Amino acid sequence: MIVTKKEVAYIAGLANLMFDDVEIETMADEFSKILNHFDNISKEDLSGIEMYSFADEPLRLRPDKAVPFEEAGALYENTKSMQDTAIKIPKVVD
Amino acid sequence: MDVAGLSIKDIKRGLENKAFSDEELVGSYLDRIKEYDHKIKAFITVCGDEAISMAQSVDRKIAKGEKLGPMEGIPVGLKDNMCTKGVRTTCGSKMLSDFVPPYDSSVAKKLKEQGAITMGKLNMDEFAMGSSNENSAFFATRNPWDTERVPGGSSGGSAAAASAGFAAVTFGSDTGGSIRMPASFCGLVGVKPTYGAVSRYGLVAFGSSLDQIGPLGRSVEDAAYAFEAIQGFDPKDSTSLQSGYKTDYDGLMKQGIKGMRVGIPKEFFGEGVDREVRESVLASALILEKAGAHVEEFSLPITETGLSAYYIISSAEASSNLGRYDGVRYGYRTDSFKNYEELVLKSRTEGFGDEVKRRIMLGTYVLSSGYYDAYYKKAMLFRQKVKALYKSAFEKFDTIISPTVPVLPFKLGEKTSDPLQMYLADTFTVNVNIAGIPAISMPSGFSSTGLPIGVQFMGDHMSEDKLFRVAYALEKELKLDMMPNLEGVE
Repeated sequence: MIVTKKEVAYIAGLANLMFDDVEIETMADEFSKILNHFDNISKEDLSGIEMYSFADEPLRLRPDKAVPFEEAGALYENTKSMQDTAIKIPKVVD
Repeated sequence: MDVAGLSIKDIKRGLENKAFSDEELVGSYLDRIKEYDHKIKAFITVCGDEAISMAQSVDRKIAKGEKLGPMEGIPVGLKDNMCTKGVRTTCGSKMLSDFVPPYDSSVAKKLKEQGAITMGKLNMDEFAMGSSNENSAFFATRNPWDTERVPGGSSGGSAAAASAGFAAVTFGSDTGGSIRMPASFCGLVGVKPTYGAVSRYGLVAFGSSLDQIGPLGRSVEDAAYAFEAIQGFDPKDSTSLQSGYKTDYDGLMKQGIKGMRVGIPKEFFGEGVDREVRESVLASALILEKAGAHVEEFSLPITETGLSAYYIISSAEASSNLGRYDGVRYGYRTDSFKNYEELVLKSRTEGFGDEVKRRIMLGTYVLSSGYYDAYYKKAMLFRQKVKALYKSAFEKFDTIISPTVPVLPFKLGEKTSDPLQMYLADTFTVNVNIAGIPAISMPSGFSSTGLPIGVQFMGDHMSEDKLFRVAYALEKELKLDMMPNLEGVE
């Protein structure tokens, strides 16, 4: 399995990550090695196996009841900036 | 006072008999951290003032004769991916370097309610991705047995802290061996519980179908006691098990192992396993046989493909889970950007480390159109096969014995340039997470160079009691001194 630089660049776009040319080349090489190892999965006999099994634990439902979070102020501690009672975020629409 | 080798029972007895106060105890642990942690680097955050204040509160309860909680006054440490209200939770990442959770994870809350004293938050591979702790965005933790070597990962800080005697017991998370591997490298008892036995609420997600929190302690008794403190149903975790929990593991583990059936999977002892590791683990099997267990070799052909399936599934889940870090709502945000796309791209690229980016890329790749069937779908089918093979094995055996890690603790920097070599260190631990079964790693001896070797016991779902039984029996026979000497460590 050979992973090309073009494929790495395409996947980086899907993953919202940026790499320079050297990093892309290194990653293509690493991925080729890793995916070659992963190819052992193709040798397994997987016929007749169901992909999902939901029998392990019955589905659990919770009552559809609102529970107020008592320390709402604490939720804003991790915001980068606030204006009055609004969270200020960067401009995301051009 | 010397706190290094104190067990949970020693501490409970000491507090009850008023041999020492909790403030004195916690102060001594803090002194030890101050004296040695600059060499070991286990802690990202030390909660000194909070710990002393909580200890004073425990002392007041004792003075008034109030009922004490199961973990009352016991100093513990938490891996830095468990949310702690008001205490920075970094996940070992620049992405969350200033994140202060507004709530406690269920495990942190449970420990707090039972009276445990949190000494601090422990270093880890970024987002729990790694086997050496070298992927932390802050610094690399060192192995207390040899500070030129890694403590294992990803709960390397948790392992190093428990081993160095910075807390009576610590807690880590295990997605593919992240508790058991560092437990093995640092000479500890590490428990990866049955999937769903410990709440994941408030644990920063890596591979949600694989992640599980568990304890690391210096004895089977300590690890079992700490596991009992955190197990149980939690309505806040949709995968939490509602029943099947046992109590009094301390009593259950002391029933002896006469007649217990122990399986030796031959594939776990083949090529790639260090000779000293193989010999030590097989010697442990022999000890169990002499103590009355039935030990038998069998075939469990899952090791090689299991590793592939694990890295495909965990990376796929990671790529999805880590999609939330976009620089907009919380977490790291880049300084300069022209538009929304650049904001997200630059924040993620600057905020994540190399290994995390590699896993996100790998996960995105195996989920992408054209490769989904070849990798992710096959891995998920193989997962069902692994579950079935374990199920069938546990009809015949009470527990399965294997090395925890195929190699001895390696040197810092030894494997960082070759990610595949680093991944191979997880060969014997990942299938346990794929199947959702419990496993325990405990010391089986030392290499000729004085490095700890770990033996792993795997069991059927919710059979932690059997794992504690066999581990306790072996621990009693081995009588190993697992306290590293930190004097003179540079």
